[in-house]
Amino acid sequence: MNSLSELQLDALTEIFNIGAGRAASSLSEIVGDEVKLSVPCVQLYQSSEINADTLSLNSPRLGAVRQHFSGPFNADAMLLFTEERAMEIVHDMMASQVGIEDVAEYEQEAMCELGNIILNACLSSMADMLDLTLNSSLPVYFVGATDVVLRQIISETNQPLILVLHIDLSIEKRHLQGCLMFLLSSSSLQKLLAHIDRFISGI
Amino acid sequence: MNSIPAKNEFAFSGEIGGKIAENIWDSIKSGLILVDSEGKILLWNDWIAQHSGIPAESALNHFLGSLFPDGLAASFKNALRNVLHYKLPIILSNALHRSPLPLYPLPVAHRKQDRMQQSIIITPIVTSEKKRLCLIQVTDATLSIKRERVLKSYSERLSKAAITDALTGAYNRRFFDERFTAEFSRAQRQNIPLSLIMLDVDFFKDYNDRYGHPAGDKVLISVVKALKSQLHRPTDVVTRYGGEEFAIILPDSGSEGGRIVAEKLRVAVSGLNIPHGTSTVADHLTISIGIVSYQPDTSCNATCFLEAADAALYSAKHGGRNCVRHLVTPECGKPCQVDTPQADSPD
Amino acid sequence: MPHRNSIKTLLIVDDSRVSRMMIRTFVLAKYPQWIIIEAASGNEALEIVDRDTPNYCTMDINMPGIIGTDAAEQILAKYPGIRVAIFSSNIQQSHQTRAAALGARFVAKPVTENSVAQALEFFESNP
Repeated sequence: MNSLSELQLDALTEIFNIGAGRAASSLSEIVGDEVKLSVPCVQLYQSSEINADTLSLNSPRLGAVRQHFSGPFNADAMLLFTEERAMEIVHDMMASQVGIEDVAEYEQEAMCELGNIILNACLSSMADMLDLTLNSSLPVYFVGATDVVLRQIISETNQPLILVLHIDLSIEKRHLQGCLMFLLSSSSLQKLLAHIDRFISGI
Repeated sequence: MNSIPAKNEFAFSGEIGGKIAENIWDSIKSGLILVDSEGKILLWNDWIAQHSGIPAESALNHFLGSLFPDGLAASFKNALRNVLHYKLPIILSNALHRSPLPLYPLPVAHRKQDRMQQSIIITPIVTSEKKRLCLIQVTDATLSIKRERVLKSYSERLSKAAITDALTGAYNRRFFDERFTAEFSRAQRQNIPLSLIMLDVDFFKDYNDRYGHPAGDKVLISVVKALKSQLHRPTDVVTRYGGEEFAIILPDSGSEGGRIVAEKLRVAVSGLNIPHGTSTVADHLTISIGIVSYQPDTSCNATCFLEAADAALYSAKHGGRNCVRHLVTPECGKPCQVDTPQADSPD
Repeated sequence: MPHRNSIKTLLIVDDSRVSRMMIRTFVLAKYPQWIIIEAASGNEALEIVDRDTPNYCTMDINMPGIIGTDAAEQILAKYPGIRVAIFSSNIQQSHQTRAAALGARFVAKPVTENSVAQALEFFESNP
């Protein structure tokens, strides 16, 4: 049984939207401008179904920030975005901060922080709404050819199920589409759904 | 971290374990601060003491916020609060925060000087008594910034066109020469590893003869694309060394990391499955790779290092092709020979 | 609590069914006699307001179609008497400023007993 009920999806979408709202608030403090971040929908895939098309990430190269988290259930949380667009946004963010541009080592770390803000906001929202505690590793950033990155993610984590959230991020004049993925085993998914059902029945 | 005694006073406990731990964190070349959920300081290592100008005696058991006359940056306070509340680790990158804490380059003379550039990681620590603590790690980002600035000024001086190979889009020999000299002397100066890959398309002349030069050009473009797809760090770039020969400098990569990259490159090109009817090693296009790794604290100059890479490639070519041959730390003065090639078997 | 026993109509606007359920539950726990109407989008809310003219309205911001702050602006322009609480997880100053300019109360999501209490306090306070 690996499909989600409408109400479960609704609850998950709301959890992640609250996370997105928090992330947007944190990001706007950094850039000193309005940040829009939304999670239009949540979908569940088998890892074999994942490719650039299902993720709507049509770019030759992807950047990915990854954190492994554990708690009542374990998952690899990953933020994927097209490298070029993400770099533009990071450049803007950096420029608004320190007035520098195009310094590769800055970028890596700044991308890590961008991913860290969004992933932590989603995890903390989940922790708040479902009343649980999650632990997380530090974020790792990597970048590469789209198919290589996707293949690597799927083979390394070896989790059969992937919860995919499409996200839209706008900072100043830039717009970025990305994906948040939670890679789960089926037992972890069942535990997550049990927490969501408990949350829904408590309303 | 598991060996830290659970008691609150572990930082200065008289136990041997505590003493060793204390020596360790005071020897670490980055800043460590441990605070409890109220922001009270439980650990303040030597590095932080030196760069803040505040000795451990004055810091321990005080509140982090009250220690600095100007208080703490809002972003730093928020991060600390979030780590304590949600127990999720947080990065404050140098790019977006620059200098959150009032720390200064040595010697710390007066507070008027510019703050040190910092990268900060804050991680939650939960003691066996379920106490929530926060570990703040600070590293000096100045060095990496300087290095990037130097590289950046390089790439600006050499305009894009002047350093790019027009056919393949890889960097050209001129770029390689400048970059290699710079990276080699950096490795020597800072005693850090460096690997250099030299590779060559197997039976390329035969390919040209059989399929024609335009097809040969296409092959080189595909090879460069395949090589690039395997390099994920911005500092690792493909350069066309000449003809069908390419070189890749891998800064900060030791022998193990370099070997893995080299093997991935070989597999990636082989995986293109470009038919090659006149190759005697495979029915498709392959490359031979020589790699040499510089180990710190050995006597080897740039010329010798480059020759060693050439020798490793030569060995790969004459040892069957479609393989990787690896040399570690050539010693200067000795003839650069491939004595103990560590061959990776072709697929 | 002068209004405790009077029957009021509350319109809950949120694209998330779970959020609507939560707001409804917390409100009814305090005011069991209130009439609750739900809308899943800003456009639906505008239609309902014309038809039923509620006393109060809770409004999410991020919704498909017309966004919450725009819907609130249109509602308040037409029916200044309706009290609107804008619920959002996005606590950026720009949203709070816009809510204040409209004469609405900004309430931070997630929906909790506490955040709903803030909205109710605003509804029941004297204009």
